[in-house]
Formats: sequence, C-alpha cells, structure tokens
Amino acid sequence: MSKGALEGFRILELSTGVAGPFAGKLFADYGADVVKVEPLSGDEGRKLPPFFKDHPHPEKSLSFLYLNTNKRSITLDVKTAQGRQMLGYLAQKFDAIIESYPPDYLDTLGIGYNLLSQINPNLVMTSITPYGQKGPYRKYPGDDIIYEAMGGIMYISGAHDREPLKHGHPQSLYIGGITAAYATSSALFSRISLGKGQHIDLSLRDVSAAHHHATPTRYSFVGAVERRAPKVEAGSPKGGAHFEGIVPVKDGYIGATFQRGIQRGSYSDYVELLNRPDLDDPGFPPIEFPARIPNDKDELLLMALKEWTKYDYFNKAASESWVAAVVQTSEDLVHGEHLNERGFFSEMEHPVVGKIKMPGEISRLTGSPWALNRATPLLGQHNKEIYCDEFGIGEEELVQLRRQGVI
Amino acid sequence: MDGPLSGLRVIDSTTVLAMPTAMYLMGDMGAEVVKVETHTRGRGGGGGVTYADNIPPKDSHWNRDGSFHALHRSKLGITLNYKVPETVEAFKDLVRVSDVLAENNRPGTMDRLGLGYEELKKIKPDLIYFSFSGFGYSGPWKNYQGIGRMFELTSGVSQFTGYPDEGPRRVGSAWFDPPNGWMAVFAILAAIHHRNQTGEGQWIDHSMYQMGVSTVGDALLDYIANGRNGNLMGNRHTSKAPHGAYKCSGDDNWIAISVESDNQWDALKKVMGDPEWASEDKFGDVITRWHNQDELDSHINKWTKDFEHLNLMEKLIEAGVPSGAILNPKEVLNDPSMKESSIFEKLEFPAETGMGTRVFLGRPWSMSDTPSHIRRPGPDLGGDNEYVLGNLLGRTETQINELYELGGIGKKPEPMDKPGTIQDFAREVEQGTLRSYDTEYKKLLGIGP
Repeated sequence: MSKGALEGFRILELSTGVAGPFAGKLFADYGADVVKVEPLSGDEGRKLPPFFKDHPHPEKSLSFLYLNTNKRSITLDVKTAQGRQMLGYLAQKFDAIIESYPPDYLDTLGIGYNLLSQINPNLVMTSITPYGQKGPYRKYPGDDIIYEAMGGIMYISGAHDREPLKHGHPQSLYIGGITAAYATSSALFSRISLGKGQHIDLSLRDVSAAHHHATPTRYSFVGAVERRAPKVEAGSPKGGAHFEGIVPVKDGYIGATFQRGIQRGSYSDYVELLNRPDLDDPGFPPIEFPARIPNDKDELLLMALKEWTKYDYFNKAASESWVAAVVQTSEDLVHGEHLNERGFFSEMEHPVVGKIKMPGEISRLTGSPWALNRATPLLGQHNKEIYCDEFGIGEEELVQLRRQGVI
Repeated sequence: MDGPLSGLRVIDSTTVLAMPTAMYLMGDMGAEVVKVETHTRGRGGGGGVTYADNIPPKDSHWNRDGSFHALHRSKLGITLNYKVPETVEAFKDLVRVSDVLAENNRPGTMDRLGLGYEELKKIKPDLIYFSFSGFGYSGPWKNYQGIGRMFELTSGVSQFTGYPDEGPRRVGSAWFDPPNGWMAVFAILAAIHHRNQTGEGQWIDHSMYQMGVSTVGDALLDYIANGRNGNLMGNRHTSKAPHGAYKCSGDDNWIAISVESDNQWDALKKVMGDPEWASEDKFGDVITRWHNQDELDSHINKWTKDFEHLNLMEKLIEAGVPSGAILNPKEVLNDPSMKESSIFEKLEFPAETGMGTRVFLGRPWSMSDTPSHIRRPGPDLGGDNEYVLGNLLGRTETQINELYELGGIGKKPEPMDKPGTIQDFAREVEQGTLRSYDTEYKKLLGIGP
C-alpha cells in the first residue's frame, strides 16, 4: 500500500447522498481512514441509480460504489440510547465528523457538536445542510435543482426565450462535496495553532451561489442584473451571429472558439485551420473580442465544421494552440487514451460486483499519490474490525448489540 | 485567533479564474498570499472591466477594476519582470521563506526561468509546488490548452446538459473554474499535512480535466457496467417527477419544483386545489408520472403562471413540496437568507480610490472559532514591492530603487494599459444580455445612498 498524503487523519462520515460521501471519498482516496457510519438500513445513497447490470441491490448502486471507495463501513442506529453512547465513544478517537442531518437533529439526539466537542475537544465537525444552520430557510428542503435555482445559476443558463436550465447531472452536489473537503481540511490545519477543533456550517445553496463571481461584482458595482443571453450558441437551431460555442460536427459536438493561446486568433487563421482558405475574405475586418461575425459567415463556418469529426477537429485545433473542446460521452472518456495513459482508472475487486474498472485520481500528489487501496465497503462490513478489534468491544457484546438493533 | 490558515505563506503565480480563486480563499482564511505579477503586461481583462458606478476612474485605472478585486482580494501584490535577472533571485528568496508555490504557467515556462520544481527543491526541500494545467503534465493531450468553460464539454458533463430537442449546452459561466480552485485548496492542504508529518515537500500535477471527470464518476461506471451513455436531461431527473422549471407571473420569473415521493405529490395536488387531471391514473405513481412528464409539466405550468415566484415557493414549502424560486442576480443578492450567511461580504475601499463599499462573494461556509473574511482589497500593481522585497526578503532601499530603475519592478503598467470601456447598459438591456440595470442597488445593499 502506498502512503497517501492524508494518512493519520481519521474521519467519521455520518452523511448520505452525494455531497458528504464525495467529501469523505476525497479524504479516503488521499489516505485518510474514513469510516462510514450507516443506519441499519444503509446509506440512502445505496438506493441511487444507476445499478450494476441495472439490477437494484444495496451493494450495486454505481453511484454508491464510486462515492465510497477506500472507506470502511459500520452500522449504528444513532436513534437508540446505546447507539448514541457508541457514537460518543467513537468520536473520542476521530479527528473529524462529516454529517448531513437537518439542523438541530443531532443536538436533539444529544450528539451534536456541543456535546461531542466536550468528549473530544479536538474534533472538527462539518455540517452540510441545504441552507445552513441559521437563517429563515434553515428548515427548507433542498436538492440539486433547488440549489441551482436559489443560488442563481439557473437564471443565467439556457436559452433567452426558454425556461432556465440546470446541469443534467447533479453538479451542485459534487461541488458541495469538494467545498466540504477543503473547509474540513482547513479546520484540521487550524488545530495546530488553535489547539482545538471547531464546527463548520456549510450551505449547499451557498455553494451554488459561490460559483459565480460576476453576480455580486456586477450588481454591487454598477447595478447590472444579468440574464440568459440571446443567441450565444452558434450551434442552436436559430443560429447566431456570435460564433463561439457548442457546434455540431460529423459525429457529435465540439467546442469552438476564436481564442488562440491567450489572444484572439484571426479569421484568416481560423479558416486555414479548417482547411478552407477559400472562405477567407481579405475585405473582412480582423475579428476582435467578442468574436462577432456576420450571419452569412457564421453559416459558412458551421457548414465547414460539418465536414470534421470531433477528434480530428479537437486534436488539430488544440495542437495549433486554439482553445477547443469535445463534447465527450462516457464511452469516449472510458476509452480515452489521455485518461488511460495518465493512469486515471484503477481496477477494483468487489465482493459483489467482481472486478470493475474505477475512475479515480484528481490532483496528482507525486510524493504521496492517490491510490485505490480498498474496495467500496459492503454495509457493515467492518463492524467486527472496528468495534471489536479497534474499540475493544467483546464479540459477545457485539452479538448482543446486533440483536438489540443497535448495529 | 485569526483565520484557519494563518501561519502559511503562499506564492501566487497564477492567472485567469480557477487558481486566483484558490489563492484568495487561502487569503480569506488567513494565509499570507503574495501575488506575483509583472508590470510589463497589461492587467486588463480582455475588455470586460467593471468600474465603480460605471464611471471612468480619476486615476490609476489599472487598480480600479471590480472584477480584479473580486479575484485578488486578501493578497499582497508584487511585480517581477523576469527579464531582469535580479528578479529571479528575488523570487527564489521568496520561495525560501514560503510554504507553497502555486503556478499555472504554460508547461515549460517555469523551467526556462530556472524556477521549475527540481531547481526550487534544491533551495527549499520541503516546498509544496502546485502546478495547475488543463490536462496535466503527461499523456497525449498534455500540451493542449484548457480553459474552465470548455471543460464542461470535454469532462463529460455536457452529454447530460441541454434541452433534449436542441443540443448540448453549458450552464453557469466557466463551470469548472471555481471547483478546480476549491479542489486545489484541498490538494495543497493535503500536501501540507504530509509535509508536517514527514518533513517532505512535493510537486503536485493538477489537471482541470480530471477534476471535471471526477464529478461524473457514476456516469462512467454506468458505461463500464451497463454500456450506457448520458442523455440530454433538460431540467428532468432520472427518477423524480414532476421535476423542472415552471413559469410564474411577471417577466421571466420561474420556480423549480422537485417531487420525489407520493406524499410530496399528494401535497402538491392539495396546493393546486385537487384538480381533476391530477387524479388520473397516468399520474398515479412516480413511475407513471415520470413517463408522462410532458403532459404533467404542461398542466403544472398552467397552474404556476398566475403566481408570483417567491410567494409560490413559500406556499409550496409550507405544504411540504420541495421547491425553490429561480432567483435572478438581484434577488440572489437581496435574498433574506443571504444576510445571515457568509456567502456575500461587504468590503470598504480606501477613500482615495473613490470606489466606496461594495459586495463580493464570501464563502459558502463559516467556522465557529477561526473566522475568515476579506482581508483587504486586491493589491495595487506593485503595491507591496517595498514590504515584500524589503521587510520579507531584506533588500535595502538602494537595491529596491535600483530594481525600479532597471525595470525589474514597477507600479505602473508599461506600456500603459488602455482604460476599459464604460458599459452601455441601455444597449445591453435592448440586446437582452441584461435583465435590467438598477439605480437603487446601493440603497438596497446598504452600501450607499
């Protein structure tokens, strides 16, 4: 086993769904000992589709398999008195808890930050909720579409004359997980000078709002209120005199821009890139930001691009320093030479689904690398290992606890 | 106790959006962040500047752009023109007294200057050297340039995003820039932990692309296990229904509704006054509702269109239906819940700048014991040359003056930047890129009359 950068940290994850588990995964993948505390019925995330071979099963949710690599799992019913006592016992030996219960819920059970920090003053607790622990919406429900709506992302996204648009994949939850991970790390770092742990109050709606710098700046400096711009994407059926965006090609879509290096490229160079010097027009003025060009030229460029395949365009444009992109499918990504050569995928041997190729590394910490050391845990797989071997609970007592429905 | 990261010193040799975000966050959290620029290249943002109240600044226009301050607050600023060799030595001295160097120069640039990891490791063995690039330093695409707003496509998110009858689209602006900055903070702190445990520094090869792909890991597994690619989802969900954006009264006002369970559906029916259509069998359970969404959505749109979006949200939530108004930028900034969180923060500029008090993004979390806040406005060009070179690196006044004379450092752009253009809001409203421009924004935000 290689040593990860976060080796030495112990994290308890009392969290469900996507955001909390993704935060826990980042810690676990970089070497922390992350123990998932699941209710007896399992993390709700075990019910998230898609499933392996489309077979709904608590050990076969692909989303769960992805979000919980390198962790260990124990079960604990924190609603029982004994369960709460056990959690207090566990909390003594851990550095951080990442939880996503509704505000006040853990306090009501007697295992909120105020109590656990008396047991373990060094504990960092990160609470992930829709709207934070304070304020008028603190008890309001939240999910991905609500965060993108209330955070202001949807209003500025999509077509001018249609309904606002969100991402088709729960992006707000993933970026919530990244936020929880860096905030938790910061609080862990602060223990060195502070000499104790602390509580972090994180709002997923605010994470979505934190995405867009221009909103507060433009409004508080000049009073400007942005909206979905008309006809920005040349690839839309209505066309547009603003050639920059997602454009259909022979076998899919590409992202086309006039940006070359950090400058704007010229129209002449661009038609050369497309092998269509015949489209050049010496009378046509150099293209300046923003790359507005007449509609007829726009049409011609769109037609010229139709002759290209997505990777032919991408590879040629990008190797000649044009900023370019490809709309990649999951298939493209899984077979992509770049990710495979970078070692992005690792094989995981899982007791229920067998051998499976897993996506992985984000930042390459060359001195203490990312590693897939441990398969995604089965529900309660590490009960004995953690309760008995590490916390000294007798095996008979464990059986007793199981019978009482505590674990 | 100050911010959680106080005690760290970080060199910020980064540009654009993602990494400046990482750096100002570390600054907000109390790290001493030294932004290294050169006065020999413009500071301009490619034409898009935001001057206070849309009035041309009286002086030093290169220090007055609001969008610069949004991304570079909480940092010290120095200028180093590497064409003057002494500045490379100054940079190395700064490395000697810092914990972290973060850079997103094109691969090869730092090596050419003699400032690559191998070289700097010799003078500062436990340095954390964070290199940020589009595709990372290996693999066939390593030399391709990547920018945040393009990674939504390449990373696989756009295969899901867009109106199904149209084609893929991007959402938000430069989607993967801020999260890459956030991930960078996490990676840097992981390396700091490793250094504190082992005494070892390291080089971090961070790829924007891989961070983006990591947010669709479940989709990759869907292909690996089931051979399935993503579909354009519009505002729909894989299992919830109704789930979408519905039209409300007024111009361009909308509400998001997300119904997962039968209880929530019953609650929605009740709020709608139990209309006849809602009791039809085709809307009887979540599976049939999901399969009949076109019709379901058209019924709901007919009902929502008479309500004011903010009132409707309160009404729905009170009834137990998860929903959220689709807030426009003005509504986001004036939302009552934002006043109690740390997400927006006021910053008062020094009187001589004429910039007044403005609101910037804060942070989507708060910590109980180590408050973070915007420490200061973005640095004037070369504004901290004297402090950093003198107090921190021990250069004498004579040495510093010599550097100014040689053009190694400077406080004014050379050649001088053109001031940015003043925005024509009336035209933007007419073109439809702005919803409106407000005249009472300062009063509403409590930052002026």
